[in-house]
Amino acid sequence: MAADLNIRITGGAGQGVHTVGAIVSRMVVLWGYHFHAIQDYMSRIRGGRNSYSVRIGSDPVRAGRDESDILLCLSPDHLPHFLPKLSKGGLALADTPSASPPVLAPPLKQMAVSAGSPILANMAGAGILACALGIPLDLLAPLLAADFKGDFLEKNRKALALGEEWAREHLGEAFRLPRAPSSPRVVMSGNEALALGAIAGGCKFAAGYPMTPGTGVLSVLADNGPAVGLVFEQAEDEIAALNMAIGASYAGARAMVATSGGGFALMVEALSLAGMLETPVVIALGMRPGPATGMPTRTEQGDLDFVLSAGHGEFPRLVLSPGSPEEAFDLAQHAMDLAEAYQVPAFLLTDQYLADTIVDMDPAKFDVRPVRRHLVRGTEVPRAENGRYLRYAVTGDGVSPMAVPGEPGVTVVAGSDEHTEDGHLTEDHDARIRMVEKRRRKGEALAQRTLPPLLSGPPNGDAVLIGFGSTKEVVEETRRILAREGIAVAAVHLRQVWPFPAKEMAEIAPRYDAALTVENNIGGQLARLIRRESGAEIAGTVSRYDGLPFTPETLAPEARKRIWEARSTRTSRTHGAKGAETSGS
Amino acid sequence: MLVSGIGQAAKLPHYVDVNVFDGLHGRALPAAAAIKMSNPAMTVVVTSGDGDIYGEGGNHFLHNIRRNVDIALFVHDNQVYGLTKGQPSPTSDAGWAGSLNRSGVISGPFPPLAVAIALGCGFVARGYAADVDFTADLMLQAIRFKGFALVDILQPCVTFNKKNTYQWYGRMAYKIAPEHDATDRMKAFGLALEWEERIPLGVLYRKERATFEELHPAIPGPPLHARETAPAIVREMLRKRTLALA
Repeated sequence: MAADLNIRITGGAGQGVHTVGAIVSRMVVLWGYHFHAIQDYMSRIRGGRNSYSVRIGSDPVRAGRDESDILLCLSPDHLPHFLPKLSKGGLALADTPSASPPVLAPPLKQMAVSAGSPILANMAGAGILACALGIPLDLLAPLLAADFKGDFLEKNRKALALGEEWAREHLGEAFRLPRAPSSPRVVMSGNEALALGAIAGGCKFAAGYPMTPGTGVLSVLADNGPAVGLVFEQAEDEIAALNMAIGASYAGARAMVATSGGGFALMVEALSLAGMLETPVVIALGMRPGPATGMPTRTEQGDLDFVLSAGHGEFPRLVLSPGSPEEAFDLAQHAMDLAEAYQVPAFLLTDQYLADTIVDMDPAKFDVRPVRRHLVRGTEVPRAENGRYLRYAVTGDGVSPMAVPGEPGVTVVAGSDEHTEDGHLTEDHDARIRMVEKRRRKGEALAQRTLPPLLSGPPNGDAVLIGFGSTKEVVEETRRILAREGIAVAAVHLRQVWPFPAKEMAEIAPRYDAALTVENNIGGQLARLIRRESGAEIAGTVSRYDGLPFTPETLAPEARKRIWEARSTRTSRTHGAKGAETSGS
Repeated sequence: MLVSGIGQAAKLPHYVDVNVFDGLHGRALPAAAAIKMSNPAMTVVVTSGDGDIYGEGGNHFLHNIRRNVDIALFVHDNQVYGLTKGQPSPTSDAGWAGSLNRSGVISGPFPPLAVAIALGCGFVARGYAADVDFTADLMLQAIRFKGFALVDILQPCVTFNKKNTYQWYGRMAYKIAPEHDATDRMKAFGLALEWEERIPLGVLYRKERATFEELHPAIPGPPLHARETAPAIVREMLRKRTLALA
């Protein structure tokens, strides 16, 4: 039988919860298994109640689980909170004075002190977990050596060994995983994959102001910038960040910013500037629950409407919504390319869940494409009759050849006022019409490149579950659960929400008795978008808005219920429609 | 390369045959700094008004002085919002009455030169629109200066500012004596605080330090638009994140 084991490590900030989670995740990969790790943390520097859940499987794991099979509480006072979510037959570990099954009380503190420091309790816990899974410590040696150095490495090794020793005496073999053949796997979070994708896409300038969960993208760009000639600067505020990225883009650099909803709110005027100047720019927006400060470290998909409508005036934009770290890597390259090809702002719309999710992935899934620039240089720069370069030359598809300033013989004029083809401001109404229509044509050309939604499951049937962004893999696992129950259900993942793939959605949705969206928001923003853009009938939305991501075990029953309700409503409405016809309304 | 924001002064680049980035109100400096970071070989000059730079863009004014990117900033300081027809600006004197403030400005004026010197701006000068050659020389010095250079240019608004007129400046303004040691920050700060009785013109402070471009680990080298991304480097980054048995 395929293994499916969920390990949850909890503790206060500063207790090394993350370190244990990262070690456990990586050791199971070397042992021939796969994992999905998700963190739930509070907005504070020390203390609080944080958890790191590692779901382990024989097959690639792409969603979390609410119940844990092994619970390691580094703060014993967290037990009452996490114990109700322990699975039947599960094991809880906490250093408490008295314990009865399912709780065992390893003397973590004592082991840590004998290893050299009370802070090593986490590593003693890791030793216990390794032993519980039947993974020998020598497999962990390179992982430890990568994380720690010198004397501290020795102490960590000792704590690990003490934990293992205790576990050998006190634990059974219930959670042992037989060794399986392992292959090389890329281990990354959604944020990390997105940032590397942007680098692969030729990003050479990035600016940002720290804001969870966008900061993770910025730190990868900052750390890896010098190696690829990418200039990163921490801006004084988000307003500066996007204005800087637009300035760099005007100067010919592929540029990006990363933020969350509140930071993006400050960028909105500059977004409109990018629309007017037609400067390419990529905006990575990791959503978190709002309004205002909301729940800073938790997840939500509440900014879809905001991103689609942000910015005064009318201008084209691209909004991509990756559903996994691999897709984030791929779409970040795509965003860099299309932003420049069509000279538009391009969004990478993620959320805290995807940003912080870590999984192991097939290296072959990471396609690094060569960067193809869409700039004109030297003799390619088109000239008007008077010899001048026209930055906003009116063209068939609305895309004007873009030259960079600073090259000999080229003068680039870009203005935020409405402008003539040469970039200088104008109040001429005919010129205004030409520019408005040029920008619109550019949007139409961009729409020709729309990525179609991804469909899995039967081509028609009882129901289709539709999501965008981070829900992709949860919806997919839910679909498989429902399919095993005999429900003919399909899943649709929208990796692009603007320009909206209206034709495809209008064609897909009616093939099922019920179409439902799955959204981490209360408003059903995607459902409204699909109805508005494609005219397709959407029966309703399965919503989650407590600040936490969906899991298949909570989504499946809710989806099952909603599919049943939607199908019965649809049947009664079909009958009712006949009645309406006779009443002439 | 001229970069500007919004306002009468910010329209200036449209009358000069150079590269132009005419952006948002208050946001010229972040764009200009990034243009310079992207291509340090370009000469980047920001030209805008007191409302744009000291008001709407105040935060960028503070932090770009700290950043010390090699750009010259010319602020056309007329102590009034002209384009929107006569509201007080951040540099309006207290008590000055205009549209939206008929009973007089309550807030004290923003002291740009004192703020700049306090923040360690390497080149701080004041010009006066009535003395064109003198001011042109200050502007030239600012452009040639290596680092962030500020020239605040007193520029009477004949339409909306009936207090700070040519006559008023004629009485108040004087040229800083040639023996002033412009590297003395305390003396410069003293000059910057003069306003009530007389107004010094010229270079108040001048001291070079390493620029942002020189210190940033990724800026030296070709301009960003000419840099390529080798797929091999990205593959190596992925390989570093790949876990495999030894």
